[in-house]
Amino acid sequence: MDMQRSKVQVMGIDAGGTMTDTFFVREDGNFVVGKAQSNPADESLAIYNSSLDALSAWQLGVDDVYPELVTCVYSGTAMLNRVVQRKGLDVGLIVNKGFEQTHSMGRAIQSYLGYALEERLHLNTHRYDEPLVPYSRTRGVTERTDVQGRVVIPLREEEMRQATRELVEAGAKAIVIVLLQSHKNPASEKRARDVCREELKRLGLDLPVFASVDYYPSRKESHRTNTTILEAYAAEPSRQTLQKVSDRFRKHGARFDLRVMATHGGTISWKAKELARTIVSGPIGGVIGSRLLGEALGYENIACSDIGGTSFDMALITKGNFAIASDPDMARLVLSLPLVAMDSVGAGAGSFVRLDPYSGSLKLGPDSAGYRVGTCWPESGLDTVSVSDCHVVLGYLNPENFLGGAIKLDVERARQHIKAQIADPLGLSVEEAAAGVIELLDLSLHEYLRSNISAKGYNPTDFVCFSYGGAGPVHTYGYTEGLGFKDVVVPAWAAGFSAFGCACADFEYRYDKSVDIALAQDGDDTQRTEACAVIQAAWDELAAKVIEEFVNNGFKAEDVTLLPGYRMQYMGQLNDLEITSPIAKASSAADWQKITDAFEDTYARVYASSARSPELGFSVTGAIMRGLVVTQKPVLPEDPEAGPQPQASAHLGKRPFYRHKRWVDADVWQMEALQPGNHIVGPAVIESDSTTFVVPDGFETYLDKHRLFHLKECARG
Amino acid sequence: MNMLAKNAPGSLLGNGKTLQAFRSEVTQRTKETGFYNGLSSLPFRESDPIGYEKLFSKIRGGLVHARETAKKIAASPIVEQEGELCFTLYNAVGDCILTSTGIIIHVGTMGAAIKYMIENDWESNPGIAPGDMFTNNDCSIGNVHPCDIATIVPVFAHGKLIGWVGGVTHVIDTGAVTPGSMSTGQVQRFGDGYQVTCRKTGVNDQPLRDWLHESQRSVRTPKYWILDERTRIAGCHMIRDMVEEIIAAEGLESYERFAFEVIEEGRRGLQSRIKAMTLPGTYRKVAFVDVPFKHEDVQTSSAFAKVDTIMHSPVEITIRPDASWRLDFEGASRWGWHTFNAHHVAFTSGIWVMMTQTLVPTQRINDGACFGTEFHLPKGTWCNPDDRRTGHAYAWHFLVSGWSALWRGLGQAYFSRGYLEEVNSGNANTSNWLQGGGINQDGEVHAVNSFEASSCGTGAMAIRDGLNHAAAIWNPEGDMGDIEIWEMAEPLLYLGRNVKCNSGGYGKYRGGCGFETLRMVWNAEDWTMFFMGNGYMNSDWGLMGGYPAATGYRFEAHDTGLAERIEQGLSLPLGGDLDPTEPAYEQHISAAARVKRDKQCMTTEDCYENHDLYLNYLRGGPGFGDPLEREISAIADDLNQGFVLPAYAEKVYGAVIAQDAKGYWAVDATATETRRLQIRAERLQRSQPTREWMREERERIVTKHASAPVQQMYASSFALSEKFLARFKAFWELPADWTLNEDELGVPVYGAKHRMDLSLLPDVHTVVQVEE
Repeated sequence: MDMQRSKVQVMGIDAGGTMTDTFFVREDGNFVVGKAQSNPADESLAIYNSSLDALSAWQLGVDDVYPELVTCVYSGTAMLNRVVQRKGLDVGLIVNKGFEQTHSMGRAIQSYLGYALEERLHLNTHRYDEPLVPYSRTRGVTERTDVQGRVVIPLREEEMRQATRELVEAGAKAIVIVLLQSHKNPASEKRARDVCREELKRLGLDLPVFASVDYYPSRKESHRTNTTILEAYAAEPSRQTLQKVSDRFRKHGARFDLRVMATHGGTISWKAKELARTIVSGPIGGVIGSRLLGEALGYENIACSDIGGTSFDMALITKGNFAIASDPDMARLVLSLPLVAMDSVGAGAGSFVRLDPYSGSLKLGPDSAGYRVGTCWPESGLDTVSVSDCHVVLGYLNPENFLGGAIKLDVERARQHIKAQIADPLGLSVEEAAAGVIELLDLSLHEYLRSNISAKGYNPTDFVCFSYGGAGPVHTYGYTEGLGFKDVVVPAWAAGFSAFGCACADFEYRYDKSVDIALAQDGDDTQRTEACAVIQAAWDELAAKVIEEFVNNGFKAEDVTLLPGYRMQYMGQLNDLEITSPIAKASSAADWQKITDAFEDTYARVYASSARSPELGFSVTGAIMRGLVVTQKPVLPEDPEAGPQPQASAHLGKRPFYRHKRWVDADVWQMEALQPGNHIVGPAVIESDSTTFVVPDGFETYLDKHRLFHLKECARG
Repeated sequence: MNMLAKNAPGSLLGNGKTLQAFRSEVTQRTKETGFYNGLSSLPFRESDPIGYEKLFSKIRGGLVHARETAKKIAASPIVEQEGELCFTLYNAVGDCILTSTGIIIHVGTMGAAIKYMIENDWESNPGIAPGDMFTNNDCSIGNVHPCDIATIVPVFAHGKLIGWVGGVTHVIDTGAVTPGSMSTGQVQRFGDGYQVTCRKTGVNDQPLRDWLHESQRSVRTPKYWILDERTRIAGCHMIRDMVEEIIAAEGLESYERFAFEVIEEGRRGLQSRIKAMTLPGTYRKVAFVDVPFKHEDVQTSSAFAKVDTIMHSPVEITIRPDASWRLDFEGASRWGWHTFNAHHVAFTSGIWVMMTQTLVPTQRINDGACFGTEFHLPKGTWCNPDDRRTGHAYAWHFLVSGWSALWRGLGQAYFSRGYLEEVNSGNANTSNWLQGGGINQDGEVHAVNSFEASSCGTGAMAIRDGLNHAAAIWNPEGDMGDIEIWEMAEPLLYLGRNVKCNSGGYGKYRGGCGFETLRMVWNAEDWTMFFMGNGYMNSDWGLMGGYPAATGYRFEAHDTGLAERIEQGLSLPLGGDLDPTEPAYEQHISAAARVKRDKQCMTTEDCYENHDLYLNYLRGGPGFGDPLEREISAIADDLNQGFVLPAYAEKVYGAVIAQDAKGYWAVDATATETRRLQIRAERLQRSQPTREWMREERERIVTKHASAPVQQMYASSFALSEKFLARFKAFWELPADWTLNEDELGVPVYGAKHRMDLSLLPDVHTVVQVEE
């Protein structure tokens, strides 16, 4: 350790179901990772233990480090688990009378959400999960507002009072109110909320009340209802957990305000009103980290790819921004949270490999060996071949150094299983079969990456590709080959990249609101100006909410950078596109022109210009306001260059390696021992405890000063 | 010269053969060998299984991706929310290689259109060139109903035609006599809406202007129409690009070998599934559904159509020990003067949308499965009409009913083999179809067509209940969508959406319940609506003692006085129509209201004012097993969730029940056991030997003691099939001279004897793909 100690500034927390990881970054960019067993009863303790583990590498304790931390970002799976296991708060739900069963019915789509394609077809496999709020704790009140926001049947307030009383009696610990079309005209729902609060007050009760318009005023009631319920059902209990975590930090002298990674790709305070949007965060971290790396390296178009054991996740950063999905699904629920748009395919490094019993064709996944690796680990109890088995047999993975040698892999066992299950039935040798599996997986990832880039209207040659996740670097060459990326980057800390990314996230609030503006192509200037006024009013309203959150966290309004956006479509369409506004304020006919031009450019890129339909007119369906303040971020390490030739001690020897129907001898390198500037030509395998980077024949790589590997295709040796 | 140079015959394929000659060779080789295109082995796949699989993965991924991207262009909730679109890749002769997800019924319907173009020499006129687009929705050459519009684009490589891409969407209106995509009231093709027969509608990748003008003014909803067309074109072009890239990377030869081998692989895939899942044998089932056209609320332009009839759909599934199989529909009733007829391709192609939900739930589905199935569809039946005038706008009325028999047949085959979890007692009749039109809330001429019917109850399995409001036989990924989206598309304010009590068939495992939505016409002018579905008859049956799902009924109310009741704060009809035998809505509307509450679930366009009511009731699925075996806790759950009415829990399940002060139901297990013993005893008492019962029934047959619709149904089946008549007579031991003719029934017999098939038109070569 350095005697002149560089300060520890940034802490990232990844509280998973089994392990809690912490990630500390020093001013000079160096970092340590700690692990501890998770403790669902007291997460703060697990974080504390994990911190001790991490900091021991620097021979520091939490009382040394917590007080000097500038920022700390939490991400965790506790809230998601609470939802999946249906262990949330007993919530009462008030809806329009006549719709009491609508929530417990769920949308039919929720009976097959999260299924692989073949199960989606296979009707008898479909099933619903338990509703978040049972029918028995749901009440209806007479009211209806129409699609244009007109109140057709006024709220009958006495029914509201009675519903409140009944729900209290039924044991509700929180009350959620969602009325149809309230996103369009919130008057009835707001009145219902106030009446509910009055009644609770009269009863002398202090139950939280959640009206959907105060949280997610977006069209699509099933999404809005699920999300508002999540606030009551899962987020409030999580807030108490975070309070405990924060308290323990304070006890050890911390001065920072704990922030939580949110679905929109920014971090928010644990005190933020909309905490449900912290339900997932892990995979988002990698996207945020990629953006920060991109900024440092001068790349604004990045294809982010993350391979874990079970899935391949990808996201695109274009012009320095990632896309947001406005009504995504999570945990088999349709939601109305802004979520960093990611595409996932259910095939990963641990996917099982089988021959389809009916067609005799190779099939990968959808299930995977997960932590049990594959049949190559005799203690796993598995006898079905996994992708990892193929990698072990072909010399890609080191059987003696898997997870730093924590478990020993049996190559011969894997060979026998591949032979019996795959190779012999297909009439192939074990090597051909194993290589075929890898090629097939890499091809499907390759095609997936390519089609998702083209679906957004781009070409891979406009992008650099970042590859991370524990298993990412084993596959990087395979799924990037021939796509023509400008650069392919593998961070040396690929396995901890998501935690790193979380620590990189801006302090950012984002609010969305449905609006309805419809204007013909030839709308006159008065109409255009009016449309701008509607947009501006929505932006003003959202900006006030954003600023309020920051003010609650001790910032001043002038510290906040506001970034307006909107969602637009051709009139009558059902899918809109999110556009970052080209203008900061909208007021004139000329502004409207800029708004529609920006939309049409994006539309033509995404769907081909022949699909443009300006003759139908334009609709603005949503207003968006993002606000951010500057935060301390990890600094990238900058090590001195040491020339192209790696030091001899980095060379671990040679290993037989199979690809393209032949065995070659690959150089094996120790990743940590490589130095910036080192240049390695394939076939080579670069190993560390947590990841393996494969550089086959026809590829070369060099390590830059930030400890990023750059992978390039080259002439075959 | 005012003439374009004509291509030499055979130049299209680059092998000196015309498309027609080439197709006939493929058909011949298939027929002679039993293997698609004579492929007794699969050399590409066998020599390079990985390379073959890679090609498969690329093409399949590209198709799915094109569908997901293109659908976002559409404006119609039917396409965008319900996913009623599908893209398919064909080889040069129009046989399907692979398809995207979606309504995969169109694997065959678009293939039939391509084959029609081939057999009728489109090659020389109007010509087939790179950049062309063809549009088809003609029901007499295989389309299901006119609202499924297909765009078909030829794919060229190395200067020759190597295949086709087809894209289809279900549009919201087709300009039929009445609004909606599946209108009713017309009784012939000529009222069914705008029909286009494989017309060349685009060149150089651009739609032709005459087509754009004509087609948009031929339908009520041009905005949806044009965005649907752009959706189809964009998807087809994405797939064509993909094929070009694959050929550039893998070579044309590999691609073409794949394009034929993969179909033979599909045929073998079906066979191995049948072998694995079923027990060989003969499975006979039957289904019926009502066509109640005599009622005054069904307006037709032709007097001869004003008759109540019943569809008859017997099926015999023969599974042979070598796992080949035959689906035989001998005995089906004749097509009729309504819009429920189906072309044989709609039937044989559509069947796969059902089979992929149960027997072959795989992405490896293509025309191979069709080549692996022998279909017998007698000419002249409702599923293979022999007259060019037939209407098809809602062919699904018969298809969903007829196929419920297939579910049961397969269910029994799975059960016999021990796959209890695969058993499914049948599908719901996917209705009601809420449709109508007029001037909407935006002041535009509009048509509506709710797809809430995509979420009906599913059939019970042999291990658990069916799913409530979850799917449709034509779409396992059905979804009822959000109210706030439907209210954008329909000037119909929702006054309720809830599970339809008692709609799932009772059983040890009950069928999934359907749901119902109550609508109030709101902000519309000159508005009309109609109903479509089954009402007097069950179209599904249940399995092994399970009950069928409830039939439909209709509720509509006019002069409701709701404007005043809202104003005065009086009670309102909100939520479900809990027990139709004790009507409750009527207590919350004006006493002077005109209410129609009956089993007439088939009506034609009628006028609705604002504040009028319409109940959209989506059916449940059938049950499995004896209801007396249903678990006590399941009955209590059903009562507390509002899935079954107390009286039926008592009557059908034999449950002894009680409600506490808070309204919570409990079932007394001991008392129920006693009650069930009693019911079993009563059953025995009521029963009689089968032979005795048959003797009584036989008497009724001999004396023709049956309602006119039943007699007409059998008479039409007998007239088409001597075999069926002989079998019927043998079964009931009828006298040799016993017969039943339509003439003797005193009902209209227009069309019963004199018909003219499309194939009799000059210069028309129809494509027949089944045994007739």
